[in-house]
Amino acid sequence: MAYLLSAEVRAEIDKWLEKYPKDQKQSAVLTALHLAQEQNQGWLSEDVMDAVADYLDMPKIAVYEVASFYSMYELKPVGKHKIAVCTNISCMLRNSDQIVKHLEQRTGAKLNGTSEDGKFTLKEVECLGACVNAPMFQIGKEYYEKLTPEKVDEILDGLE
Amino acid sequence: MKWIKGFFKTFFLWELLVGLSLTGRYFFSKKITIQYPEEKTPLSNRFRGLHALRRYPNGEERCIACKLCEAVCPALAITIEAEPREDGSRRTTRYEIDLFKCIYCGFCEESCPVDSIVETNVADYHFENRGENIMTKEKLLAIGDRYEEQIAKDRELDAKYR
Amino acid sequence: MDKIDIEIDGKMVQVDPGSMIIEAADEAGIVIPRFCYHKKLSIAANCRMCLVDVEKARKPLPACATPVTSGMIVRTKSQLAREAQKSVMEFLLINHPLDCPICDQGGECELQDVAMGYGDDVSRFTEGKRSVKDKDIGPLVSTDMTRCIHCTRCIRFGEEVAGLRELGATGRGEHMEVGTYVAKSVKSELSGNIIDLCPVGALTSKPFRFSARAWELQQRNSIAVHDCVGSNTQLHIRRNEVMRVVPQENEAINETWLSDRDRFSYVGLNSDDRLTQPMIRQKDQWIEVDWPTAFVAMKDALTACIEQHGPEQVAAIASPNSTVEEFYLLQKVLRGLGSNNVDHRLRQKNFDDQDEVGAYPGLECNLSELAHMDSILLLGSNIHHEQPILGHRVRKAARRGAQVLALNPLKFNYHFPLAAESVVPPAELCDRLAGIAKALMETQQAPEDAKKLLANTVVSETDKVMAQHLLQAERAIILLGTLAQHHSHAATIRRLSRLICQMANVDLGWLTDGANAQGAWLAGAIPHRGPANSSLTAQGVTAHDAFEKALKAYVLMNVEPNLDCADGRQARHALTSADMVIALSTFKDPLLMEMAHILLPITPYSETAGTYVNVMGEWQTARAVVTPQGEARPGWKVLRVMGNMFNLPGFEYTSQSSVLAELKEQLDNASSSGGLQWVCPESLPNADKGYLERITQWPLYRVDPLVRRSQPLQETTLQDAVGIYMHSDQAAKLNLKAGDVAHIEQQGTATLNVFIDERVPLGSVYVPAGYLETADLSGGSIVVRRDK
Repeated sequence: MAYLLSAEVRAEIDKWLEKYPKDQKQSAVLTALHLAQEQNQGWLSEDVMDAVADYLDMPKIAVYEVASFYSMYELKPVGKHKIAVCTNISCMLRNSDQIVKHLEQRTGAKLNGTSEDGKFTLKEVECLGACVNAPMFQIGKEYYEKLTPEKVDEILDGLE
Repeated sequence: MKWIKGFFKTFFLWELLVGLSLTGRYFFSKKITIQYPEEKTPLSNRFRGLHALRRYPNGEERCIACKLCEAVCPALAITIEAEPREDGSRRTTRYEIDLFKCIYCGFCEESCPVDSIVETNVADYHFENRGENIMTKEKLLAIGDRYEEQIAKDRELDAKYR
Repeated sequence: MDKIDIEIDGKMVQVDPGSMIIEAADEAGIVIPRFCYHKKLSIAANCRMCLVDVEKARKPLPACATPVTSGMIVRTKSQLAREAQKSVMEFLLINHPLDCPICDQGGECELQDVAMGYGDDVSRFTEGKRSVKDKDIGPLVSTDMTRCIHCTRCIRFGEEVAGLRELGATGRGEHMEVGTYVAKSVKSELSGNIIDLCPVGALTSKPFRFSARAWELQQRNSIAVHDCVGSNTQLHIRRNEVMRVVPQENEAINETWLSDRDRFSYVGLNSDDRLTQPMIRQKDQWIEVDWPTAFVAMKDALTACIEQHGPEQVAAIASPNSTVEEFYLLQKVLRGLGSNNVDHRLRQKNFDDQDEVGAYPGLECNLSELAHMDSILLLGSNIHHEQPILGHRVRKAARRGAQVLALNPLKFNYHFPLAAESVVPPAELCDRLAGIAKALMETQQAPEDAKKLLANTVVSETDKVMAQHLLQAERAIILLGTLAQHHSHAATIRRLSRLICQMANVDLGWLTDGANAQGAWLAGAIPHRGPANSSLTAQGVTAHDAFEKALKAYVLMNVEPNLDCADGRQARHALTSADMVIALSTFKDPLLMEMAHILLPITPYSETAGTYVNVMGEWQTARAVVTPQGEARPGWKVLRVMGNMFNLPGFEYTSQSSVLAELKEQLDNASSSGGLQWVCPESLPNADKGYLERITQWPLYRVDPLVRRSQPLQETTLQDAVGIYMHSDQAAKLNLKAGDVAHIEQQGTATLNVFIDERVPLGSVYVPAGYLETADLSGGSIVVRRDK
């Protein structure tokens, strides 16, 4: 099962494991899941989670529990670009609803869904801590702030 | 004086006339006797007579075998057995009321969470053979089907007081 | 440790420091409502129902997770506490469906009870309630997850007691769900306990589903009769029928738990093939007769047989699940007729050391001591399948830090870590034990004959490690499981274990078959000793020999010969050729219908009073809880009349207790026999057999006639299905692969599916017993080939 995790991912997990006591391997589960998710087209399949469980000597259900608890883990396949739009109060006051509407029109994906061509996934998220420059969204690891529909177009045009 | 009054009352059959005047009053008044069973007195919509099991309008039996009626019955007249039906729902396989034990207190009806077991206003029924006093599920459902209109009407009349 | 004083609701209570408020309150009899707290599980404090008012605390504290401190003043019913509890209740009821009328928990529901005291009659919540999809977690537990209040008792039970973390809470907040995430059934031999643990109706019993209400049931105490632990149970009966079984708390035996086998075997009690009328076979026709006719027929046939062939041609074989009274009367009848051929050890093959055993084979420690061992060697024992409750105790020991060692012919998936493990083919078991003994000899005193015996033994590394663990442990025990006791060199195994025990100064425990092997020894249902260990002038033959020698007459008590005996084929053969087979049986076993001559219906444990002696030597008497079905009668009554029919003296019993009293009196007068002494076997068996060996064991739910008739248990995926299990290398050698159908020959034949199973050591295949499909297989070498 561990073969579902690439050698690089395993090496990276090992690095994290060194930081924790030997009998506390489960401490590395968050990082391990992040790495596994990156490796697996941005989502965690049951097989991948099982592989993480085996690698960290955890019960499988314990890994499912963690993965289903945090919203950063995707349990269903996602599009090539995952756009995490903040709709919390600061962004909402700065008209994030318009951004969401525009994104939906532009990408063809419904909020919390994936576009038919599999290119975009829109996800509604809670505050990402960039309220000063609201409204904002996150694509991959990048924050895009002070959004306007025009700026959104520009950003999306820039994506592959 | 008292003695004279008494003597004349006896002599003129006064007591008899007083009695006969009552008879006469009723003789000429409107009659209240009715020709049962062709005629019937009006019944309260809360009358507690023969039992019935009701159905929903779509034909599904209401009873869900919660056994509250069995538990509440002070005369231990109700016997229920249940198991999951094919579709997984909770249903009775046996629902019997022993009418010889039943005291028509209406507790079963009060306890029913789905208005399934009810007491109809049917008051006249009889048994000819031993064992007919046991109302089986089939019989109770049949009664329910037959009197559903009346049952529904009675419940509706009472609804605002509940 | 000094106790400290705290005040709860104005009552001064003395408690151990470190205990929680809720424990102190429970001890003082003060009720604090709770859902997630359970005394046998870890503390989660996530239901918040037990909030109490503690003086000087700024807000209400959870009683289950607040340790007591000296001088603490707790108020469980103050306005603050009540308000806190009522608010929690309101939150809990927000998402709980109002389906009590169709919920099986209705009437025995903790949420219902607590809501009566703390809930409001009208909900302020007008939004839609959440609903959760039900999960299919197997044929024993049904789920209605919408009702779940997330107390996580079932999750903690899986992790802490069952040793299988299969249930979990996935999702977050309102989306939290308890389940397995992926669709699968919970595979645990203790899974039924989550039904009792669940405070609401989210987890309920599937076989019991919708069949009765708690208030209709009468509760009767009883004893579980499927393993040698003798768990205390309560049978819930309605209208003379056992509706379900729940555990009765007994800290010394089963704590608050019960194995699934003991919990769900009751389904078999009302099986369609119950024998309810005495039957006699006349010209291949079974006719139902009344008891007097059956008794006369039985007497005439047996008398004729004894006159013709002599009493030593009669043997009585009883199931090890029979009661002490039945064992005692059975041996009394048979010995009265002049035969000593009485036995209950159906599955054993080697009895060479039977004279060396003390009063009875058993456990030398009690169960709480077992959980406090520092080292435990499991020898041929799949302990959590054989005695699930003992498996839990061993797991407890392992969690405390005990070194658990395993020496087995199969690699079992224990739910605790092993410090060392050897998996060897059965033939090498003796060698490995010899290896451990020899490793011990390096430092310990050893008898001279033992040294000589082990002169050529090679010590492996694992042997050394095991020896070290046993030696270093302050208190250790060797547990002999059924695989060791059913071994064809069981006597050597037991003798070598005894040697190791003596040298390393550790205890020995025999985990015997059935519920009452100890009672059988004490009551004299063994061929070489009378009741209460009295010595005999002539020894009878053992169960195994009785079938091997093919005697003329057999009396069977609750035995299904082809499924319950060490060698089903041999038993079948012996019974076919016998002149007279009298079977006292609860069920109409097809094989008995085929070869018995007289069938006498006896009752199962729920319908008879009887005593069981468990592996710790504890005597427990269970009463009859329902009346016998049909004409079936308790075994002791049938045997009593049998004694009367033969005019044997001393059969004037009027009750089960008078039978027991007679045996107890003999036991009081008996001198206790000495402990186990080292007796040197003549030689060690040759491990190099050169042929394929068959490993066999009775799967969890195939151990006795009653369990085999419990349909829900048979549907579980926990036990090994019938088939041929072998290592992938072995399969390659035999030119087989998974999914093939293979033909196996061991005197008899069977055609079975092949399973690739890396648990099986090379040089052997594993074919489970207790199935009709494998009943024709015998002992000795086997041949496996692909079915054409």
